[in-house]
Amino acid sequence: MTDADLVQGGYQVPGPQTTNLADILERVLDKGIVIAGDIKIDLLDIELLTIRLRLFVASVDTAKKAGIDWWETDPALSSHAARNALQDENRELRERLEALESQMDELPAGQEAVARH
Amino acid sequence: MTESGADPSDGNAIYVFAVCGAPARVAVAGLPGVAADAAVRTLPFAELTAVVQTVRAADFADEAWQARLSDTRELERYARAHHHVVTAAAAACPTVPLPLATLYHDEERARLTLTGEAGRFRAALARVAEHSEWGVKVYAAERPAQDARRPAAEGSTTQRPPAVPADNRTRPAPGAGLAYLDRKRGMQARREQRQEEALRMAETVDAEFQKVAAAARRLRPHGPDPAGEHGVQVLNATYLVAERRSGELETLTRMLQATTGARIELSGPWVPYSFVGEV
Repeated sequence: MTDADLVQGGYQVPGPQTTNLADILERVLDKGIVIAGDIKIDLLDIELLTIRLRLFVASVDTAKKAGIDWWETDPALSSHAARNALQDENRELRERLEALESQMDELPAGQEAVARH
Repeated sequence: MTESGADPSDGNAIYVFAVCGAPARVAVAGLPGVAADAAVRTLPFAELTAVVQTVRAADFADEAWQARLSDTRELERYARAHHHVVTAAAAACPTVPLPLATLYHDEERARLTLTGEAGRFRAALARVAEHSEWGVKVYAAERPAQDARRPAAEGSTTQRPPAVPADNRTRPAPGAGLAYLDRKRGMQARREQRQEEALRMAETVDAEFQKVAAAARRLRPHGPDPAGEHGVQVLNATYLVAERRSGELETLTRMLQATTGARIELSGPWVPYSFVGEV
């Protein structure tokens, strides 16, 4: 099912035109009639989570316009940030390896021979 | 997830979005829902109708949700998908939304639990019938127009104390400390005054909307905007309003904006998420 199917199906989704993510989260996460489910999902930290998210979801577009994107690099808020840290380390290690290899090439022939033995 | 005796072999679970009042077919079959493998469908129980979807249990286990909760894009995807199904169902019949992530091992388990809660669903449906939810956010003006009457303390600083001789530079001019304290006190007083005005304004707006509403709830105010464009949010409230009265809200918003000078954001109509739980 894609959005295209949905449009072709002619469904009219009612609701506010301004579907701000913060507005949706504070209803979908915090409200609704709570019924015990079979699968225990620990959303105990939801209070904390929404408070943290709210710092930026309320205005993510404005912040992006202003060039603020700290939530994308905060590991607590984004798993992308964790991946980035790994990529950074990888790049740094590759650079150091290249530097070492080029130093090896610059060694005089004799010393290189010694180094090889 | 086999502790309740469900058949673990198929690895599926039932995700419940909402419960509708009418036993009639709810047109939700074309919606994407929260999973790609199975269509959103209806599950009749106790003369009510649940809107459900079969999902892979592993994708909806606690660990999967913990990862999702720390990834804004993923969380947004699921929240919007859930909201989408709820609003589509509500367009077809009176609907009580469930929060994100209510899951059962299989259809039988879902039907059993939901049937046990039928009384609560009926009460909630009766409460919100022919009503919608409307959000109201009030932002204080960024910096209210500076008072024409400046505090006396600031005026006094214009009368400079006599110039201090060069060899005496470290000693403060007489009266400078007092003037500083007066200035500080003046700033503090103005800040408190602004806060009180903003809160009073929020109460005024809330009281006016309550006159039109059947019920009201306060939500947590949103944090400050990094770009500082919106001003400080002093009220984040939501109201249950009869459909026949919803036309009055736009006018009321405009009127209150004019009289208070605050920026007021009206959002709606929402499926009454905030008014289906027992409070």
